[in-house]
Amino acid sequence: MSAGMTRAKRSVRRGLGAVHRALRSAVRTGYTRWRRSIQVRIVTSTLFISAIVVAILGAFLMQQVSSALMDGKVKAARLQLDDGLAQVQRDLGNSPGDGSRLNATIDRLKSRSGPSGLYEVYIRDTTEQYFDGYTTNELREESVPRRLREELKNAPAGASAYTYGKLSYVGDRPSERGLIVGGKTGQFELYYLFPLEEEQRTLTNVGRSLAGVGVVLVLLLAAIAALVTRQVVLPVRLAAQGAQRLAAGRLEERMRVRGEDDLARLARSFNDMAANLQEKIGELEDLSQVQRQFVSDVSHELRTPLTTIRIAADMLYENRDTFDDPAVGRSAELLQSQLERFESLLADLLEISRHDAGAATLDAESLDMRDLVLRVVGDIQGLAERKGSKVVLQLPGEPCMAEVDRRRVERILRNLLVNAVEHGEGEDIVVSVAADRDAVAVAVRDHGVGLKPGEGQMVFDRFWRADPARARTTGGTGLGLSISREDAQLHGGWLQAWGEPGAGSQFRLSLPRVAGAELRGSPLPLVPPGAGDARPLYAELEAGE
Amino acid sequence: MKRGTCLLAGGLFVLGGAGCATVPSGGQVVTGKPAERAERVDDPYVRLIPVKPRPEWGPAQIVSGFLAASASFDDNHHVAKTYLSPQTSWNPGLRPFVTVLSSRIIAPQVVRTAGDQATVRVTGDELGTITSDGQYTASPKGLDSTFQLAKTPQGVWRITGMPGDDKGGLFLSKDDVERAMRTVNLFFFAPDQQTLVPNGIFLPVVNRQTLPTQLVQALLAGPTSWLNGAVRTAFPPRTRLRRGVHIEKDVATVDLSEEAHAGNIERMSAQLSWTMRQLSEIKRWRLQINGETVIAQDMEATQPVHAWEGNSPDGQVPQGETHENAYVVGSSGYLGTLQGDRAQPIVTGPGGRLSRPAIAPDYQEFAGLSATGRQVFVAAPVTGAPTPHVLLTAQEGARFTAPSWSNDGTLWVVETRRDESWLWVRPRGRPAVRAAHWGLGGREVLAFRVARDGVRAAVIARIDGRPQVQVGRIAHAPDGSLDVGSFLPVSSELQDAVDLAWRDYNTLAVLGRAKRDSQTLPFLMPISGSAITSLGVGSLGEPRTIAAAPGAPILIGTRSSGKEQVCRQRVPSNSYSPWICPTAAKDPSYPR
Repeated sequence: MSAGMTRAKRSVRRGLGAVHRALRSAVRTGYTRWRRSIQVRIVTSTLFISAIVVAILGAFLMQQVSSALMDGKVKAARLQLDDGLAQVQRDLGNSPGDGSRLNATIDRLKSRSGPSGLYEVYIRDTTEQYFDGYTTNELREESVPRRLREELKNAPAGASAYTYGKLSYVGDRPSERGLIVGGKTGQFELYYLFPLEEEQRTLTNVGRSLAGVGVVLVLLLAAIAALVTRQVVLPVRLAAQGAQRLAAGRLEERMRVRGEDDLARLARSFNDMAANLQEKIGELEDLSQVQRQFVSDVSHELRTPLTTIRIAADMLYENRDTFDDPAVGRSAELLQSQLERFESLLADLLEISRHDAGAATLDAESLDMRDLVLRVVGDIQGLAERKGSKVVLQLPGEPCMAEVDRRRVERILRNLLVNAVEHGEGEDIVVSVAADRDAVAVAVRDHGVGLKPGEGQMVFDRFWRADPARARTTGGTGLGLSISREDAQLHGGWLQAWGEPGAGSQFRLSLPRVAGAELRGSPLPLVPPGAGDARPLYAELEAGE
Repeated sequence: MKRGTCLLAGGLFVLGGAGCATVPSGGQVVTGKPAERAERVDDPYVRLIPVKPRPEWGPAQIVSGFLAASASFDDNHHVAKTYLSPQTSWNPGLRPFVTVLSSRIIAPQVVRTAGDQATVRVTGDELGTITSDGQYTASPKGLDSTFQLAKTPQGVWRITGMPGDDKGGLFLSKDDVERAMRTVNLFFFAPDQQTLVPNGIFLPVVNRQTLPTQLVQALLAGPTSWLNGAVRTAFPPRTRLRRGVHIEKDVATVDLSEEAHAGNIERMSAQLSWTMRQLSEIKRWRLQINGETVIAQDMEATQPVHAWEGNSPDGQVPQGETHENAYVVGSSGYLGTLQGDRAQPIVTGPGGRLSRPAIAPDYQEFAGLSATGRQVFVAAPVTGAPTPHVLLTAQEGARFTAPSWSNDGTLWVVETRRDESWLWVRPRGRPAVRAAHWGLGGREVLAFRVARDGVRAAVIARIDGRPQVQVGRIAHAPDGSLDVGSFLPVSSELQDAVDLAWRDYNTLAVLGRAKRDSQTLPFLMPISGSAITSLGVGSLGEPRTIAAAPGAPILIGTRSSGKEQVCRQRVPSNSYSPWICPTAAKDPSYPR
């Protein structure tokens, strides 16, 4: 029993919850539509305002009809009463009412009341103390309100008065509203009581028709409003869609121009604007193409003389000990190192121009990310030891297979690790690897100076340096992270940076397991656990995407 | 723009509404049906409004107030009961015993006051009584009764004892009875099991909603003491209504208890139909027994109240004949039918010279009186020149009333002297015998007519020196002997009566003299006792005989300046139409 109750209660609660949810979602949907669509807003307000206007109008009309109806009824009733009073006066005069004569009079009055119950009659002899007069049919004497009696009692002879009240009856007949007119002649008080059923029915009918007409009218107005706004809103909506597509890069998008009205003018200006934009963007693209081509060409052209210079420099370097002047030997060394730097700079420039030209291709094969990480860490172990940093590895137990280009991923990882060692201030460097169903990620964490707000994005800019004061001689070419990012993007992956001044920084590489698949999330957090707060996370995420 | 549309539409709406709302000033003629203007049981009525006793009233005023208040049946005499002490049980109910007084008791006398006790004496003229089965019996006498009153602890006087041992008796004036009660007919079967007999009763009108229920309950309760034994009811004993008669849209539902299964559905339906057709609000009705609808033969589930014409108290109207031939005695001594305004001889010879001839309903034979009224003759057939046979010869000093046939071919005639009378009955093919029980044996009878239902008989009897119209009933005693009696006065509005005839089951056509009138004139006299209406205008000379039949013109045999004439109304359907006497003949009669 109680279990059943509980179950019932639970199901009821669940049902209520479902209703509540449905309601809330409906409200939310409605609100969203209201907010987003001019048409919905205009139709709603038209509905609302016209409903108010129609309601006021209807109430006014009803009031008019009802008062006209009642006026007519009262007039007719008073005439009837005057007639009845004249009859009573004729029959009874002012003589003391002898029973049978009063009887005959009430019989005559009754015969006019009719079986359909057009009205009821109540007559009383104020001098009679043993009974309170006569009524026709089932009418109860209480139907004549006390206030009307009092009024008549104090009124001069021949006066008449009327009021509205409730007619009650003996038996099962239900009481109904009625008009009561009363008059006095001599010692007799005569009341006519008119049921207002018929009038009530008329009013109800009129009211119903008015309500029906009002509803139809309001709906009609709403339909008109919907139609009119549709004519205005549709082109606006088309323009909005066009602008959206334009913004998405489809520069050939144009609006259709129809007619010569304001909307056509809007469409024409929009199209002009789109054409201009397209032209300018085309010019810019061409220009950038030329520049890239120039860089690529320059790099290539520099290569041949550089090779010759290199051969010469190598010779000078190998024979540096033979120079008498140690300064010349030192210059040869300097020349050698700067040449190496120049070469790598040239290689990076070529690589990045390859990316810019879209000539970079992915040579994907299925590899275990752990192996790649171990290899790269092994490569830079020496550098790290020299800087006093220790590389800590956090690798999962199972293989993290992904379709990647070995060369490019190794380059990215090397870049990140070299950066971490260089900026790590001798602290530990943590390299973590993780994988989930769709993606693998590698994060490189250092505990160096960290990044200032906004620098998370800037680190990937070409030739950006964390500290401008730092000599150009140290560090890489300034293109490493840019190339790494291009490489990551070539995989369809992300390369993101997080950092806080004094707390170090973390770089995260996230790659899809299948080359070219879209990346939805990363198995590793960008912000290392126990560092930072929510704000920079969001900032960096936005920047990363 | 939106607001403009709104206002425009609103304006159009108002204009349109105002434009349509005009009263038509022309158009085609619309006809309506004429309203049924018959005396209906549920016509408008008038109720007296009682007042509660005032604290300052003395014993006499309390009695006056009580007598006035008891005329109101509202809420089961709620107000009248406030005049009684709480210990006094008095419950008149819906079918009370009523003592009818000629006028209201105006001045009760306090005959004795002793501390908290008082006795109040009321005097008045009693006209008669209405028993609880609704039967009115005239019994004019003086009323002299006493009421016992006592002072309650609150210091007001209340009635503790009422006259008579009937705990529900009412004292009502004639006016009160006319106002508060209706005469309605209950219909029961005559011994031939075919014809219905109306049984008029007084029923208090509590309200119109309960009237159908009251009526059916009264019908189920059976005939009043007056007709008891003379008629039969189709309802098995102890049949009652399971619930009140329910009326919805002109259709009434009568739900009888289980006992009704033993009854004949057709005959019960006929009785109910004829009884309920007195209520205008019922057009059709449905019979249920124990909640299940039962269907009479050849009827639908809801039968019209005007069905069962075959059981009409006026007997079956022959098909095809719109109205019956009237028979008259031509001035040159023949019995003839009235063709237009001329008498067409049918029977000549000695048979044609009989006075007050009466043709049997089956046209097989006819009866008449000798010129002096001292012999009754019977002759057959009703054509040619048959020889009349003497059926009866009166005793010394006596004579016979006009012979009357009942529908089964029985001939009825009354032999009467100044202070004595005898009823002779001759069934078809048997000798005439004297009725064993004859209620008017000690009175002179001027006319005797059997109603078409064969159960009631109307007479003009001389009571206290004044001819009076009375109606009695014909019953068969358990031993088979005939009992004709229980004669009750129908109306007291005539001071003299000459002749009468049954117009239909509810109305008598009477030649008589109203009070304050000097001339004998024809009147229509409802059996129910309601007001008589005079018939036609114009001079009739000295009317002597009258003939009437349902749907046929009323004929009057009159003597005017020595000439015998038969008069009729110029337009028989109009009761105010003047009398014309185009036929030189006498003694008109209808076979039925």
